[in-house]
Amino acid sequence: MATTMASTRTVARGAIQNSASVPMKVKGRASLIYEMHSQLYPHLYPLQHTSKDVIIPGRTKTPRHSNSSALTSRIDPRNQPPQIFNSLAEFKTVYKDEKLEMAVQHINKIQVYPAKPTIHRTCPDPVSHVTSSQIALLDPTGARTRLFAKTNPECARVGDILLVRQRTGDPFAGVCINIRRRGVDTAILLRGQLTRVGVEMWYKVYSPLVEGIEVVQRAAKRARRARLTYMRNVKHDRGSVENVVRVYLRQKAALGTADGKKKGLQGLGGVGGKKGNKRGKGKHRR
Amino acid sequence: MPPKAPLNWGLLPPSFLLPLSARTLLPHTSNAAWRTTPSTQLRTIKSTNKPRPSRFTYTPNGAPLESTAAAALARRAHSTPLRTGLLAIKRGMTALFDPETGKRSPCTVLQIDRNEVIAHKTRAQNGYFAVQMGAGGKEAKNVTRPMLGHFATARVAPKRFVGEFKVKGEEGLGVTVGSSIGASWFVRGAWVDVKGVSRGMGFEGGMKRHGFGGQPASHGQSLMHRGMGSAGASQGSGSRVLPGKRMAGKMGNEQVTVKNLKVMQVDEANGLVVVNGCVPGPKNQLIRVQDALGKPWPKGPMTVEEIVPATIPVPNIAAAAATATTTATATA
Repeated sequence: MATTMASTRTVARGAIQNSASVPMKVKGRASLIYEMHSQLYPHLYPLQHTSKDVIIPGRTKTPRHSNSSALTSRIDPRNQPPQIFNSLAEFKTVYKDEKLEMAVQHINKIQVYPAKPTIHRTCPDPVSHVTSSQIALLDPTGARTRLFAKTNPECARVGDILLVRQRTGDPFAGVCINIRRRGVDTAILLRGQLTRVGVEMWYKVYSPLVEGIEVVQRAAKRARRARLTYMRNVKHDRGSVENVVRVYLRQKAALGTADGKKKGLQGLGGVGGKKGNKRGKGKHRR
Repeated sequence: MPPKAPLNWGLLPPSFLLPLSARTLLPHTSNAAWRTTPSTQLRTIKSTNKPRPSRFTYTPNGAPLESTAAAALARRAHSTPLRTGLLAIKRGMTALFDPETGKRSPCTVLQIDRNEVIAHKTRAQNGYFAVQMGAGGKEAKNVTRPMLGHFATARVAPKRFVGEFKVKGEEGLGVTVGSSIGASWFVRGAWVDVKGVSRGMGFEGGMKRHGFGGQPASHGQSLMHRGMGSAGASQGSGSRVLPGKRMAGKMGNEQVTVKNLKVMQVDEANGLVVVNGCVPGPKNQLIRVQDALGKPWPKGPMTVEEIVPATIPVPNIAAAAATATTTATATA
């Protein structure tokens, strides 16, 4: 008993794996199951049908999983009724599938198709991919990135006085008390004064509404904090930076280009512009 | 105020005001219309109240309810998408700026990993139309034998995630079994609904779970500051807690649908679908993305052959940097 079972098992495995020589001498229940299954799902046994094989007419219905519609069967040759192939080459002319070119494993006598390469290999970090494409779009010259890059020794730091020129409205200047580095969401917090009232403004560095960021004055000493929130206390408050900015704009106008003179800065009472690169070192120097 | 019926001067006065002889000229109106209960000859005390309408829609003589499978499908037809959705992985959030308006929109990056059609569910076989999608990959030794056979039938590699997307009709089955669908299945500017399992918060109190107000910090309050307060009235509501009372309990870890997210960017090569706004759940978890129910169905591809691979527009960085350096040298 045990020997017969073992023999049928080996023969059945051989029938699937050595499909070139299709041993159909298996007797009994196992062979019947194998035959019926192979006729129900002929594409799972791609090399079984030789020219001598005859498909039973009653069994030539399409497999259950793919009886969707005439639409699908028109497109996919796999949904056609089982075909008889004389050779592997002929089979491949119909099934132009790379997966079949590769080795199909068998686990527990079931075909296992090889996996395609995972998308994680193509794009391991999608968020940074999207972010970098956004930065490339918003900052094509890379000036803003360099201005706030930690690798740049001339980058803007907390404690510096920065001037932000905007697409609409007056420019705003203040002490930078916080730099929030978050890729395309990188932002700076400027603390200045408007009408003698302390004002803090967040600016997204890469925002299209920010036309330019200039370093008006660098901090005398390197700040020993990452966020200078202590500047909100009266004791440490820098107050208005208007005078510093006015001097800076005047100097810049003296050295400035025609481009700079065209764009007057009425809000701060000075003339100046974009291209004057006296102080905006990080912005225009490479 | 309800509209008043116009006064008709040609009408006769009420019948009891007419003389008996004239009453016979009136059209005979029987009062059997309101008498729905069968009357008996026995003279007893009867209720003057009309029988109340049933709370149920059962009518003994009316037509039967549309309880067939076809009727059920027809009822859901308007809210069933025309085409399948995809199984995506949430990969994180970032922001996109509109260069014209300067508007910043937070967005979530979803990644489509090896989505392949595993099976079709048809009306004839299963009672409804659906597309079974598989995503990701799994080692074959970790897959059960029945599932291995299922994947082999579709001629795809074993999948980590399997999900089903109902479609309205047979035209939604245009994606053939075994075919792979990429991110370009969704078109930029289209609207999608996303489903995912929210982060599990564990057992949380009423303040966090339902936004209860809590209780005062002082004014004699003792040892009860974040409790939920009363759970209901006493005698008035039967001296019991009504079913469905919101209380402390397990929060999160349930399916959440976020409707009507706009597709901001699509990248076929990297499998990226960037949608506006946030998406439930932690990073690297499965998200179901499907055409939005609340918007007109998109004119997206219905079959794999119609997909037009899309990419994220990126300006040539090298060229831009080169021009920047040249201008910098020119100004210097």
